[in-house]
Amino acid sequence: MTGTTRLAPDMALQRLGELGSRCDPLNYTVDGRQPRVAIRVASPEAVAEALAVCASGGLALVPWGGGGQMGLGNLPERYDVALDLRELKAVVDYEPDDLTIGVQAGCSLAYLATILSEHGQMLPLDTHDPERITIGGLVATGLGCPRRFGYGSLRDLIIGITVALPDGTLARGGGMVVKNVSGYDMMRLHFGALGSLGVIVRANFKLLPLPEAQETLLVTFRALEEAMNGALAVRGSQLAPTALALLAPGTAERFVGMARWTLAARCEGPDGAVRRQAERLRETAASLTSDAYVLEHEETLRFWSSLQGKLAATPLTDRIRVRIGEVPSRLGELAAQLVSVWDSVLEDLVLDVGSGLAFATLAGTVEELRAAWLDLVAYGRHATMLAAPHEVKVGYDVFGRHPEGVAIMQRLKETFDPERTLNPGRFIALL
Amino acid sequence: MDRAALRTRLSEIVGPDGLLDDPDELLVYEYDASDEVFAGYHRPDFTVLPQTAEQVSAVVRLANEVGLPVIPRGAGTGLAGGALALRGGILIVLTRMNRILEVNERDGYAIVEPGVINLELSTALQPRGYFFAPDPASQRACTVGGNVGNNSGGPHCLKYGVTTNHILGLEVVLPDGERIWTGGPVPETPGVDLTGVLVGSEGTLGIVTKVMVRLTRLPEAVSVLLAAFPDIETASHATSAIIAAGILPAALEMMDHLTIKAVEDAFHAGYPREAGAVLLVELDGLQEIVADNTQRVAELCRQHSAWEVRVARTKEERDLLWLGRKSAFGAMGRLAPNYYLVDTTVPRTKLPATMRRVEELSREYRLPIANVFHAGDGNLHPLVLFDRHRPGEVERVLECTTEILRYCVDVGGTLSGEHGIGFEKRDYMTLVFTTEDLCAMAGLKRSFDPRELFNPEKVLPTGFRCGEVAVLRQQALAQRFGLEYV
Repeated sequence: MTGTTRLAPDMALQRLGELGSRCDPLNYTVDGRQPRVAIRVASPEAVAEALAVCASGGLALVPWGGGGQMGLGNLPERYDVALDLRELKAVVDYEPDDLTIGVQAGCSLAYLATILSEHGQMLPLDTHDPERITIGGLVATGLGCPRRFGYGSLRDLIIGITVALPDGTLARGGGMVVKNVSGYDMMRLHFGALGSLGVIVRANFKLLPLPEAQETLLVTFRALEEAMNGALAVRGSQLAPTALALLAPGTAERFVGMARWTLAARCEGPDGAVRRQAERLRETAASLTSDAYVLEHEETLRFWSSLQGKLAATPLTDRIRVRIGEVPSRLGELAAQLVSVWDSVLEDLVLDVGSGLAFATLAGTVEELRAAWLDLVAYGRHATMLAAPHEVKVGYDVFGRHPEGVAIMQRLKETFDPERTLNPGRFIALL
Repeated sequence: MDRAALRTRLSEIVGPDGLLDDPDELLVYEYDASDEVFAGYHRPDFTVLPQTAEQVSAVVRLANEVGLPVIPRGAGTGLAGGALALRGGILIVLTRMNRILEVNERDGYAIVEPGVINLELSTALQPRGYFFAPDPASQRACTVGGNVGNNSGGPHCLKYGVTTNHILGLEVVLPDGERIWTGGPVPETPGVDLTGVLVGSEGTLGIVTKVMVRLTRLPEAVSVLLAAFPDIETASHATSAIIAAGILPAALEMMDHLTIKAVEDAFHAGYPREAGAVLLVELDGLQEIVADNTQRVAELCRQHSAWEVRVARTKEERDLLWLGRKSAFGAMGRLAPNYYLVDTTVPRTKLPATMRRVEELSREYRLPIANVFHAGDGNLHPLVLFDRHRPGEVERVLECTTEILRYCVDVGGTLSGEHGIGFEKRDYMTLVFTTEDLCAMAGLKRSFDPRELFNPEKVLPTGFRCGEVAVLRQQALAQRFGLEYV
C-alpha cells in the first residue's frame, strides 16, 4: 500500500512499554483472549503516540476503561495491546454555572456523579457498577438507560469530543458550548462506534439540574397485554415520567418481590410535584386487576441502578444478553413471542417502553444459546448480542442484521484506521 | 457530454417543468438568505426541482457521470451561504418534495419529505397533541430538510435540544447516487451513527430525501414571562440565577434596548420601551411544576433588578409576548438599510463580558449593534447595522464581526451556534480547530464524497481538500518514526 510505514513489531512493543506503565495482561482478557502487553497511559498525547506505534508496527489494540461493557463486540480478529485509559480520569473543564463539563475518558461514573451532585447537577445515567464503568466506555458503546425517555441519552448530551487517531494525532470536534454547528459532528461519529475509528480521550457534555425529589411508581398486572396497555397509556399522556420500563414476572420478583408483569415509571422534579405526578400516573396506568406501589427517593435510585445491570454489556460466561429494538406499540407482541418460544432459557426480560428496546437475558448451554440467538437475531427492528460467552459468538456478527450504509462504515474505517489497528474485527460487519 | 445533451438527460429525469436553465430563471438561485455583499452571487448551471427520491438519485448519478458539482437547497433561508453554487453545477431544490408521509403518535415519529415547511409540520401535529421541537426564527419558510442540513436551533432548544436530537432516521442519497435509510424509530441502531453524522453536514455528505422526525408531546401547561431590566448585565445575572436554581425553561431569550425600540416602532408588541433589556422566559411541563416555577422565576427576576414582570396566562397573551421576539430581525429595517447577523455561542457565564466587548466594538467601528439572543444557552446574535452604499462601511462591518467572532472563540465559544459554517464562515474554522481537527473532518468528508462533488467549497476551510490531507497524514506518520515515505 502506498505510503505505508512499518516498525518491527518487537520494536513497537518496546516503544509502547516506554509510554506508560505495564499491567498484567491477564486482567485484560477479551472474549477469552489475552493481549501480548497491557499498558496504562496517563496523557492524551501518550494515547496518540501508542496508536501511532501500533499502527506502524501492525499491532492490534483494544482500548480499555473499567471493562464493565467489554461484553459488547465480535471476537477480536487480532489482539496485541490492551490500552488502559483509567489514568485519564480528570475533570478538565467544569464551570457549574455553564451547565457543561469536560472529562477525560477514564473518569468513572461514580466520581463524576460525586463532583456533579456537589453542585446540584447530573448526567442522567444509571449504572449498576458506577465505580467501574467509565464515561469513555459509555460513549464508545453508546449504551443508554431508560431515562432517555425523559432526558435524552448521552448521545443527546454530548457536545464535544477529543479522540486519538492511529496516525498519532489528537482530533477534536464540537466544543464546550451547548449549541454548536461549527464543523462536522465528530461526537456522533464516534458515539457507539466501539472505538473502531479512534480512541476517545475526552468528552464534553451538557448537564442537567439534579431533581429535588425522585419517586418510582410500580404497577403490577396479571397479564402482559394489560400491562402493555397501561404502559402505552402512560407513554401517550402528558405526565412526563423520565423512564418507563416493564419487567417480566421473573425479573420483577427478583427486583421488587412481585412475580407479576410490573410497570415502573420514574418521576423526577420538585418534592410535592413528584408525589402528585406519581398519583396521576397511577390513575392512567391502572386497570381492574392492577396493584400499585411507590418507591421513595433512595429506593428509586437503588431500583433503577440495579435494574441497569440487566441492560448492560457486562461480559457473561454462561448466559447471553440480547437487546432488541422495536417500536413501543409492538413491544408487547415481541415480549409474548419471546416468552412463548424461549421460556425454558429466558431468565430476565426488561422492556424499556420509553425508548423502544427489549433486553432479554438467557441462560443455557452453548448449543441452546446459539440456537436462541439464531432466532432472536430476526426479531424487531434490530437485535444485538450485548454479551455472550465466546463459544456462542463464534461465527456470528453480534450486531445482528446489518443496517443499510455498511459500505460507508467500511470507508470510514479505511479512512480513519487504514491499518486496522483499533479493535479489529470487533465492530459491526467485523470492521 | 455537451450542455444540450446534459439538458436533455436532466429533463428526462425531472421532466421539462422541473428543470431551469434560463439565466433569468436561474437569477433567484444565485443567492440564498446570506448577504450577497459578503457571499457574492453564484449561478448554477442548472436548477432541478425533483419530485421523488428516485429522481434525486438519478440526477446525482448523472452529475457523477459528467463530474459536475451538486448543491442541495431547501427554501434558501440559510444565512451562511450554504446553498450557493460556488463552482456552478446542478442545484437540487427539494421544495416540491413536501408531503407528510406518515404520522405515528403511538410510537412517536413522523416521516416527512425534506421540502415540508418547519411550521407546517408542527401545525399538522398540534391537533394530535404533538409538535416538532426545532423552531428556527425562519420556521414559516424554512424546510425540514434544511433544518437537517444545518442542525438548526431555535428558542426552544434550551430545553428540547437542537435538530439532531429530534431526527430519528434519514433516507439519503449518497454522493455515488445510492439511496439508503439510516437510523429508525427506535434508538441504538447498531453500527456507526450515520444519522448523527449527516445532520448538520450542510449537504456536503448526501441529500436527504425523507426525514423521520421525533414527535414531542405538547406540554400540559405553558407560561411566558416578560421581565424588564435596567441593562443587559442585570438581565444576564437573572438568567444565571434562574439556571442556578435548577429551573430549565423551555426558552430564555434576551433583547437589548435597540431591539426593543425597533420592535415597538414596527409591531407595537407592548414591550416596555424604557427597558435596557428584556428577558422572555417560557416555562412548560406539568401544571403544578409550571405554576411553581413561574412564581420562582418572577421572584428571581425581581431580585435581580427587574422593575416589571408580566406573566402571560392565555395563549393569546403568550403569542403577543412572543410576537416581538419573533419579529425582531424583520424590525431591523426600521434602524438601517442592512444588517449583518452574527451567530456565535459562548459559555453562558461569559455572556456579560461578551456583551460588553460587543458594545466596545460597536463604538470602535462606529456601527450600531442590536442584540437579540438565546440567553439561556449562550447563543448570541449581534446584528451589526449598516448601509452598504456608504463607502468603507462593508469593510468595517467585516472587520468588526471578525473581531466579535475572535473574542467569542477566545472565551471558549464557537463560530456558529445554529446558522452553519457554509461558505461564509469556512475560513474562520482555523480560529477554533487545529490542522489535526480539520484533517479528521476532511477524512469524514472523503469517506462519503471522495470526488468532492457534493456542495463543494463549504464547511472546511480553503486548502483542506480531502486528497491532499490524506497524503499529508501518511507523510507525518513516516516522519514521526524516521521512516521513509514510499
